[in-house]
Amino acid sequence: MVKLKIVVAMLGWMLLASPVLGASVCATDDLGEEICLDRPAKRIAALSPGATELAWAAGAGDQVVAVVAYSDYPPAARKVTSVGSHTRMDMERLLQLRPDLVIGWVTGNPTEQLATLKALDIPVFSIEPRSFEAVSQTIERLSTLAGTESEGFAEAERFRQGIAGLRAQFEKADPVPVFYQVWDEPLMTVNSQHLIGEMIQLCGGDNVFGHLGRLVPRISAEAVVAANPEAILAGGMGEENRHWLTRWQNFPSLTATARYNLFFIPPSLVQRPTPRMLEGTRLFCDKLEVARGRRP
Amino acid sequence: MIRPIALPLLLLALASILAMVISVGVGSVAIAPMEVVSVFMGEGADLQRTLVLELRLPRTLSAFATGGLLAVAGALMQVLLRNPLADPYVLGLSGGAAVGALLAMLAGLGGVIVSGSAFAGAMLATLMVFGLAHGTGSWTPSRLLLTGVVVAAGWGAVITLMLAISPARELPGMLYWLMGDVSYARAPWPGLGLLLVVCVVVVPLGRSLNVLARGPMQAAALGISVRPLEWLIYVLASLLTATAVTMAGSIGFVGLVIPHMLRLVLGNDQRLILPACALAGGTLLVLADTLARVVIAPEQLPVGVITALLGVPTFLYLLYRSR
Repeated sequence: MVKLKIVVAMLGWMLLASPVLGASVCATDDLGEEICLDRPAKRIAALSPGATELAWAAGAGDQVVAVVAYSDYPPAARKVTSVGSHTRMDMERLLQLRPDLVIGWVTGNPTEQLATLKALDIPVFSIEPRSFEAVSQTIERLSTLAGTESEGFAEAERFRQGIAGLRAQFEKADPVPVFYQVWDEPLMTVNSQHLIGEMIQLCGGDNVFGHLGRLVPRISAEAVVAANPEAILAGGMGEENRHWLTRWQNFPSLTATARYNLFFIPPSLVQRPTPRMLEGTRLFCDKLEVARGRRP
Repeated sequence: MIRPIALPLLLLALASILAMVISVGVGSVAIAPMEVVSVFMGEGADLQRTLVLELRLPRTLSAFATGGLLAVAGALMQVLLRNPLADPYVLGLSGGAAVGALLAMLAGLGGVIVSGSAFAGAMLATLMVFGLAHGTGSWTPSRLLLTGVVVAAGWGAVITLMLAISPARELPGMLYWLMGDVSYARAPWPGLGLLLVVCVVVVPLGRSLNVLARGPMQAAALGISVRPLEWLIYVLASLLTATAVTMAGSIGFVGLVIPHMLRLVLGNDQRLILPACALAGGTLLVLADTLARVVIAPEQLPVGVITALLGVPTFLYLLYRSR
């Protein structure tokens, strides 16, 4: 009898002390709401391509049960069930997958649909990383909620160190006047508040439209000619489509054109706030180095 | 007398019920009909209860209310303006509502305040057009129409300007609102309630409306006080449209085509047309929304695509057959 009591007491003590059993996890999302889960999430729904990448970066890829259209990275994400586009989710299919954590996108998902999920007692962790540090912190917070902190914190640190390394390398580099083209028709660029603007700055680029007030300003081709950038960096529709750069070949008087400094940057490396930005930033820095090398 | 009115309404009511049953029974997750019934009996698995009671039912009711409100508003506008091209938005109501909603979003507000602000915007647009159309001269339908169309163009410019200068952060939310969709709709009950009340109020006026549709001179000659009647129609149509837009954004087509379709089939008796519009408009939007949810699931189509795809051939067929 006494033995049994001791066993029960020990079991109870083990339950209390165990970090896995009954341990609740908490994290604060980008809307400032604290999300607490009774136990780490096992079934995660990622409602933006970026959220999917971040979940994988946090080491929680195996726990992702739902994604949205265009969730193409990492390749394993393509095999996960899609619940439609991020602007209009198929709520029935999403609920059928019984997520115990939804990673929402503050400005990308319709607030009404996220509100419906919250009303159904599904925890919604809303994210909107807007800086290099925010990418690392988002990975860390997601790994806390998913119970994969060792992988998540390591990846966040790898990204942090990589960015810090590039920053140190290019801190004293000669400034290169840069035009970054986000879109072709209409012509669009980014200002210095934008994450892509930060990437340019980090590499010692001087964004010729960085001072504009809007995050993604619409500009005219004339304004580009007037600003006369030394390098033009452009994304494109798709990963291999370079035709956005051909229009600048009609302006041989542009320094960028005269020195062949028209560079293609695969948009998926720079336009999603995920660890792949490190690769994208490195590419930016390489191209600007090339431009510096072509100075007379 | 009672038969020719009752029969079409009965058929339309049956069609609406059928549409709602289909809408609640069908979705991207298959639920057997018996299981849907058991959910309504208070049983069934948790997931199925959530899908049917929390997702499908409110959405179905919202779609019905929105479609009904828009179709009745369209019919009233067509009588008021004596113009077949009139629809609920022709006088700039949706523009005013959109500006109201976008302003609230710009101020960083959300949810109920955006809806309230949209409603206020719609009512402001109504008052503005009404006041301006009155002007210093007389109040004629063509003057009202012209004022409304120009004010609507003004709202359109303001919306474009707001989109152009809004911070990127607020932009997606604004675009969703402007697209209009039943999937974003909130509580259906105010809309359904208003629809019922307006039908009860308007049907007794049907006879006067019939005369008014033939022209104000004739109406006046037959002893109808034209001005108050026109005001009443205007206020009612505005209220209906404002409620619909507040619920689900500006959904097009239903308000223009349903009244015409019914006139082609049932003749131009407003006592019949107005309640028929409520039923047929609701039915069309419920069916369209059901299809929009399931056709290419998990991708969801905007409901406007389906309303037009269903409505255009039906309408053209009716028009072609009519004499």
